[in-house]
Amino acid sequence: MKPPVTSRPSIHDLIRQQEKAQFGHLLAASVCAAAVAVAAVVLLGLSAWFLTASAIAGLGGPLVAKAFNYMIPSAMIRLLAIVRTAARYGERVTGHNAALHALAALRPQLFAAIARSDKGQSLSSGEASARLMQDVDAVQNRFVRLSAPWGAGAGIAAGVITCAFAGWPVALGVALIGLAYIVCAVLLAKRVTQEAGRQVRTTAGQLKDTLSSLSAAAPELRAYGMSSWACDRVNADAVPYVEAREKLARGTAWLALVQSLAMAASVVLVVLTTASGSAALMALALLSAIAVLDACGTLVGAIGQRGEVEMATARLDALMATAKSYRADERVQSYIDIKGLSPLRPRSRLGICGASGAGKSTLVEQLMKLRSAPEGHLRMGGHDLSRLSPQRARSLFAYAAQQTHFINGSVADNLRLAAPNATDAELWSALERACLDVRIRASGSGLAMPTGENGNALSGGERRRLGLARAYLRPAPFLILDEPTEGLDAATECEVIKHLRAHLATSGQGLILISHRSHPLTLCEEVAQVSGVNSDGSVKLTVIHAHKNSGTQSFAI
Amino acid sequence: MTDTLPDSRATARWLKSATNDWKRPMQVVGLLTLADALPAIGFAAGLGWAMGRAIDAAAGSTPVLSAVAPGAALAVGSLVARGLLAQFAAGQAAKVAGTVKTGLRQSLAPAVFVGKLSDGAAMTAFIEGIDALDGYFAKFAPARFAAAIVPLVLIAAAAIASPFAAGILLFTLLPFVIGMALTGMAAASESRRQFQAMERLSGLFLDRIRALPAILAFEAEGSQTRTIAGASHALAVRTARVLRVAFLSSAILEFFSALSVALVAVYCGFNLLRILPFPAPDTLTLGKAFFLLALAPEVYQPMRRLAAAYHERQAADSAVPALQALEAAKPTLDRKAISLTKAPAIAFESIAITYDGAAPVVQGFTLDIAAGQTIALVGPSGSGKSSLLHSLLGLVPVGAGTIRVDGIALSAELDLVPFVAYAGQAPMVVPGTVEDNIRLAYPAATTRQVMQAAAQAGLSGDLSRVIDERGGGLSGGERRRLGLARAFLKPAPILLLDEPTAHLDTASERALLPVLKDVARGRTTLIATHSDEIARLADRVVSL
Repeated sequence: MKPPVTSRPSIHDLIRQQEKAQFGHLLAASVCAAAVAVAAVVLLGLSAWFLTASAIAGLGGPLVAKAFNYMIPSAMIRLLAIVRTAARYGERVTGHNAALHALAALRPQLFAAIARSDKGQSLSSGEASARLMQDVDAVQNRFVRLSAPWGAGAGIAAGVITCAFAGWPVALGVALIGLAYIVCAVLLAKRVTQEAGRQVRTTAGQLKDTLSSLSAAAPELRAYGMSSWACDRVNADAVPYVEAREKLARGTAWLALVQSLAMAASVVLVVLTTASGSAALMALALLSAIAVLDACGTLVGAIGQRGEVEMATARLDALMATAKSYRADERVQSYIDIKGLSPLRPRSRLGICGASGAGKSTLVEQLMKLRSAPEGHLRMGGHDLSRLSPQRARSLFAYAAQQTHFINGSVADNLRLAAPNATDAELWSALERACLDVRIRASGSGLAMPTGENGNALSGGERRRLGLARAYLRPAPFLILDEPTEGLDAATECEVIKHLRAHLATSGQGLILISHRSHPLTLCEEVAQVSGVNSDGSVKLTVIHAHKNSGTQSFAI
Repeated sequence: MTDTLPDSRATARWLKSATNDWKRPMQVVGLLTLADALPAIGFAAGLGWAMGRAIDAAAGSTPVLSAVAPGAALAVGSLVARGLLAQFAAGQAAKVAGTVKTGLRQSLAPAVFVGKLSDGAAMTAFIEGIDALDGYFAKFAPARFAAAIVPLVLIAAAAIASPFAAGILLFTLLPFVIGMALTGMAAASESRRQFQAMERLSGLFLDRIRALPAILAFEAEGSQTRTIAGASHALAVRTARVLRVAFLSSAILEFFSALSVALVAVYCGFNLLRILPFPAPDTLTLGKAFFLLALAPEVYQPMRRLAAAYHERQAADSAVPALQALEAAKPTLDRKAISLTKAPAIAFESIAITYDGAAPVVQGFTLDIAAGQTIALVGPSGSGKSSLLHSLLGLVPVGAGTIRVDGIALSAELDLVPFVAYAGQAPMVVPGTVEDNIRLAYPAATTRQVMQAAAQAGLSGDLSRVIDERGGGLSGGERRRLGLARAFLKPAPILLLDEPTAHLDTASERALLPVLKDVARGRTTLIATHSDEIARLADRVVSL
């Protein structure tokens, strides 16, 4: 049986959606791109024609020169120069606006997808950040370049029309050279730049991964004099990245060479096909042909970047592919059945003990759906856990993990993850129950006290208690506490347990408590020992203390 | 993060000094870019020659094709030469930029691991910050070099055909340069803010992904997604502003250059028509006119290329403060290691430890430890036990007092680290096998020694199994044992253990006691602990 999964949107759906949302901007950019290309081609052709025609008129003597109409062409030239400049500005601004708005909408959607994904847990933060920053930036190019084909098309069309004045063969030839240039660029891009673009992305991700895993371990690196070892590892990973970027730059330079060669071919073509005709028309064809290749250049640039864009898109898609969206199922009732133990009902208290490494945390991570569990061992509200969405399962629990995670913000920011609408008084009350209020007050900044990156501004024991306070704030049916008093001295431990007992009495919550210390387990009516993990991933449990009727007093200290 | 603008000149100075080693190859790239002027002149000359002969041939009714051929050949040859030269120059520029980046990364990498900057800031500076210099070296620096020289060379070439037209070009150059400077300054301030917005978003992603387990457990995905949407939108707004300024400036430059070219064209056209309203300073032929007209846009091209590469300079400018911060965090290279041959005596003399403006964690702490003694540090959580251990590693800011090892005072220049074996509260795990992970503490160790240390620490199971960076496959207790195995492996005269038996059950803790007693023998040992059993092992128990 599989959990009910609805179809998920792919990155392509999201991009299409953004293309629709940005249709106005993209249309304007395309129109501007076409205007730039047409103006540039006509401008160059007309200038060349005008100059040559003037020279011919000049040679004819003052009378012919006076009769030559230089006003209209020169006015046209000025107008075209203005149109070209204005349209290019318009194209850039509208194109980038479309891209930037699309990106701003894409990033949070991708973050949400990572959060929903099974991979979210295993994805290193460096990798994730690389995807959300660089890969999304690469997708930006896709949006910016959407107008490029329109510019190239309009440029070729304008070139064909202006060159047609000098004869159809040259017009056809110019169009063919333009197309050949684009085809060459596509082939070259496939062979060189796309591969290099892919390498840039993968090597950048690798470098970030290495860096992020090593910098998290800075204190130990220092202690073992391994800083230079770490530097070597980072530098070793930086080499392929730099090489890939260099390869990409070289590939792009190849595209520029192809453009030069295409221009040379155009000169030969125009000279061969129009030498028998008017010199003015030859000049017109010559410069229009060169302008056409210029107009195609933008498209060729876009083709050169396609490898990087495709790679980035594929990586983002792979990321989203792991995201699951579950059908909204009805609320799960707060009954938990763990195979081999008495059923947990509201207000039930289960203690879990066991040797270190036996799998105590594994069990609660399975309950939280942070780790997958085999079918048939865990049930919630009568459903097998594997059929429930993570959201449904997690709604039953307020969880203080063994390794608490904090966002880089204030104490209040971190507490409000659990209760977004809690008042300051409620936050203080939770801190008090976690024996942390005195410490936070003493900091001088109160609830605004920064926790630092990953809670670094706090000591190990303080982090644990802040995690406990956060769990207290969430009004879920069960509290899951993983080693809540580890790293606390005996006096603080006593205080914490006293408050926990009082908290449970008032909140009416159930409790699942993991500890290898005896004192916290006195809160529990049943204590199970974990003695390892079976090959199917289920946890081996033995009840070592069951005391059904006497509630919280079952264990003597 | 301050909002002040980086001083362009100061950042340029820093870039110059940081890249002094690669001056020569950078100059070569500049010269290659400069060489582009020759085929540019060749193309214009070929075009002019061909058109001039075409019109003469038409008038004299000789075959046009053969008349045009030499000029056309020159133009075609110049185009091909130009393409090849540009290709070669771009390749060289990419190579130099790559060399510079690798060199800078090698020199700055040590700063990433001293923990003085936040992970996000260090990572952004190290990857994106250094990447931001790529365009500076591959595009901006050669473009700046070319922009200073190429226009003058081309104007000199134009002067051969028509000194007057050359005069027009020279005259229009001045407002062009002023326009460039003004738009550049406007863009610089916006660019800095955009870089900050990018840094912020990048840091936010890094942080929220790291805290994902907590975000998921509390079903806070929605509110965090909104936070990210806010930062993402701010970045879009900033970037749009930077780009608008940049595009406007390039539009102005394009317009200027079009205007100047038009001025040359009008002069040429009227001169050819012989209807100039003033006495003609020189008599043009069509060939010369075409040469001038083809050359005129090339005069402005290097400066437009420079303007287009200007954002590369801004990106570099914006990245430099972060790189300077990274450089400042670099550990002192010439730290001398203290020399120890046996377990030393350690004396703390009224030590105070204060983190960033907070209340002191430890104050007036004094302790004399005889050589080879084992000390247990006990006390409530947060009383500074770990900080005292870290102080021997030079990892914490010691605000007052002195630590003496065998009578010698530790300082920023004097390093104790080679003689310390340490097991911390959150042992690091690097991707690799368990054995690799243990061996990190003492790379010279034999497999037998590694196995012995693992056995002492109670780390059971296959040492060749692979673990990932998050310690996948290791429980909290096993991680702790991994850290202990490292400390046991390293044959150092000072042993520091931070809560060695946390995460271990009572039976495991008992099993470890004789081992601790054994490894502490012959070493000066400090153990921070909550456990009474461990405290009993010590020669002295110090309460904090």
